[in-house]
Amino acid sequence: MNLSLHPLILLLIFPGGLFLMNIGLLYEWADRKLVARFQSRVGPRWFQPFADTIKLLAKEEIIPNGVHKIMFLALPIIALTGALTAAQYIPMFGFEASFSFEGDLIVVLYMLSMMTLSIGLAGANTLSRFTIIGATRALTQMFSYEAPFLLALLSPAIAAGTWNIGKINTFTGENIWLILAQPIGFIVAVVGLMGKLELPPFDAPEAETEIVAGALTEYSGRGLALFHIGKNVELVIGLTLVVIFYLGGIANPIEFILKSAGLFLVVTALQSMFARLRIDQTVGLWWRLGALMGLLQLLAIIFGRYLGEILR
Amino acid sequence: MAIGVLFGDLVKALFTKPATQNYPFTKTIAPERLRGKLVYDPEKCVGCMLCMKDCPSNAIELLTVDKINKKFVMRYHPDRCVFCAQCVQLCRFNCLNMSNSLWEMASTTKEAFEVYYGREEDIAFLLERAAQPGINEPPCE
Amino acid sequence: MTEAKKEKFIVPIGPQHPALKEPGNFEFTVDGEIVTDAAVRLGFVHRGIEKACENRNYTQDLYLLERVCGICSHVHATAFVLGVEKLAGVQAPPRAEAIRVLAAELERIHSHLLWFGVAAHEAGFDTLFMYTWRDREVVMDILETLSGSRVHYSVNILGGVKIDVDQKLSDLIKKDMDFLEERTEYYMKVVTTDDTFLGRTRGIGTLSKDRAKLLGAVGPTARASGVKRDIRVNAPYSGYKEFPVKMVIDQTGDLEARFVVRLKELYESYRLIREILEKIQPGEITTRIKRKIPEGEVISRVEAPRGELFYYIKSNGTEMPDRVKVRTPSLCNWGTITDVAVGHKLADMPMLLAGIDPCFSCNDRMVEIRSDSQPSQMMNWDGLRKYGIEYYR
Ligand code: SF4
Ligand code: SF4
Repeated sequence: MNLSLHPLILLLIFPGGLFLMNIGLLYEWADRKLVARFQSRVGPRWFQPFADTIKLLAKEEIIPNGVHKIMFLALPIIALTGALTAAQYIPMFGFEASFSFEGDLIVVLYMLSMMTLSIGLAGANTLSRFTIIGATRALTQMFSYEAPFLLALLSPAIAAGTWNIGKINTFTGENIWLILAQPIGFIVAVVGLMGKLELPPFDAPEAETEIVAGALTEYSGRGLALFHIGKNVELVIGLTLVVIFYLGGIANPIEFILKSAGLFLVVTALQSMFARLRIDQTVGLWWRLGALMGLLQLLAIIFGRYLGEILR
Repeated sequence: MAIGVLFGDLVKALFTKPATQNYPFTKTIAPERLRGKLVYDPEKCVGCMLCMKDCPSNAIELLTVDKINKKFVMRYHPDRCVFCAQCVQLCRFNCLNMSNSLWEMASTTKEAFEVYYGREEDIAFLLERAAQPGINEPPCE
Repeated sequence: MTEAKKEKFIVPIGPQHPALKEPGNFEFTVDGEIVTDAAVRLGFVHRGIEKACENRNYTQDLYLLERVCGICSHVHATAFVLGVEKLAGVQAPPRAEAIRVLAAELERIHSHLLWFGVAAHEAGFDTLFMYTWRDREVVMDILETLSGSRVHYSVNILGGVKIDVDQKLSDLIKKDMDFLEERTEYYMKVVTTDDTFLGRTRGIGTLSKDRAKLLGAVGPTARASGVKRDIRVNAPYSGYKEFPVKMVIDQTGDLEARFVVRLKELYESYRLIREILEKIQPGEITTRIKRKIPEGEVISRVEAPRGELFYYIKSNGTEMPDRVKVRTPSLCNWGTITDVAVGHKLADMPMLLAGIDPCFSCNDRMVEIRSDSQPSQMMNWDGLRKYGIEYYR
């Protein structure tokens, strides 16, 4: 699109940062509302996440003693930047991605990991015991889910024969939904996404009944708000990725909204259905089950392609 | 061994109304026996002072205006009351009761928590006397 | 490694912590995720209730003691009332005794459901927490309809009870019991079959029978370890003589067993309540009791939802007691936590804490620590004052 609009207005529409942040907050609302409904509660009203964020942004930021100041201040920004940058490569709402090149899938995945890495560093940076344990858990979890999630996203890429998200989108749009062709991959991807976002039941890194708020315990005000926004943007990206890869891609806004909502329903149901896993259980689940399943899926696809070529 | 045993209830919850009550807008009717604010009937009271003596939180003060003619004024402090209904149980003349409709007692001022019960002229008489400097309140026992 | 690690990594839980609804302090020394040492510190909500009892009359004490705990209020009042009645040589009428048991069992239901929700929350199972508390509202409503208050039912008075049940109420209660029974069956299925939940409970915090006996565990915590300890059965009091209960016992002693024992006790409560409503005899509900209680001392034991509750009352022949001593069940169970905590993961700690159904407000009392090396820490008022001034200088 080469519209000549005022830059401030451009900021508000896709893929402007402000737009993404707002969508992220809207997603957070949907998440909270749906979980509340599953739990037979009323849930927040639509503006609650916005109000929370504005409140946090307006609050004083307390820098605890004994932290590396620059790092403490920079980490939330890095985390948010990572998430926002990743969003640039993803087609959303039926729009084209604003940037794309062959292999942007890998870039997106690494950009998404930046968030967790920042959280881990932020936790290790402060002196509180809760944050240190939270950071250890966050990083442990990152190391364990990264592989299965990657594998789960790689298999459609291999099926499509490209590493470009935009092209994969077109590929999945033209073929049958990959959820039918690769159900295992879909499951691994959804569960991996939940692990990545530290949603329950994989929220051991921020288990409030054990370690308060995990790595972010010492954060307040602006830093906390930025981390939250970053996480929400990541939620948007993650869901969109799974929709693109497994639910037949997105060709227009309506399709996008419907499919995302459907996936959201599944994710929130999963969130409210289980007890929190201990960190060792999470790791065990990932490495023993997740990685194995992802690998099997991958092998099946490679084999399938190979077979297809031979037959041809 | 199963996973997601709760699934059935989740679906049910999604399609039923939330269990939360939208309190100030919808109110359930309080049960008949609810122990709300204390109400006092000055006509029946004989001034035995039992209610005052056994109140666990000193929420009742019975002020005597005229002992012979059985004129009493009750000063009741809902903020101290623990709504135990001991006074109601004790009063043999049934002049004390706990209302089941007056239970929303939040207030931003202290005045709401000092309630006078009694015949109007007695209350007026008491308040007048209390307003005059130098004269102490009538003893409560 | 020859030299022991000097620097210990201690994770404090409390006195202010999301896992605790009341203040208490636990220090877990961890090595990575594994707990190597545990310590409990209590005393943040000491309220001086026992002392306050000494300058109130017996009737007023009843209401004061009811407020020792917000969850098991009725049972405290029952223990006190039974003791005082024994001192005065008065026996409450049978109908009153039955109603006391009815209220006690309703209270047990609400307490166990409350605990169930809290424990689920500690396990990160918020949905289960919300559901149990939603269903608990049913029994809360019964209690409110029955007695007039949701929390402090004030059913007891000296020499009887305040409230009576009629046919309409009894029908209502029976209907609600059916509903609760159905729900409890469902929860039983969840705790015994759901894999994620079992992963957090099965084999965690196993307390052997011997250890439970040695540490003096009481209530469901002890019964889950196979210790036959239930005052309602061992030494029936009040209406339990007429309406006996079956003791629920489990041999495993882990967290799952504690869930199962408590849920099975719910079934027992439903059964008992139905039986009482069927068989209750018409009659008086109060007897007269003198204001002045004759001199003497008495011990009164009842089974609270959390275990054995113990009251010691000494009277000096006046309207006020000379001494009231309360020993609440939670206090007896703390030892089991520090005992089983070692070797478990930090993530299991909140569950372990919740496993004994701790109630902090009912076990904060003055404790005198005696040790051979240190002089006693008792202080008189002047000494305390001076210490305080010095401390904050
Ligand atoms: S209800 Fe209890 S606290 Fe309130 S006035 Fe009566 S005796 Fe006192
Ligand atoms: S117990 Fe009844 S009669 Fe006696 S003083 Fe109180 S209100 Fe009056």
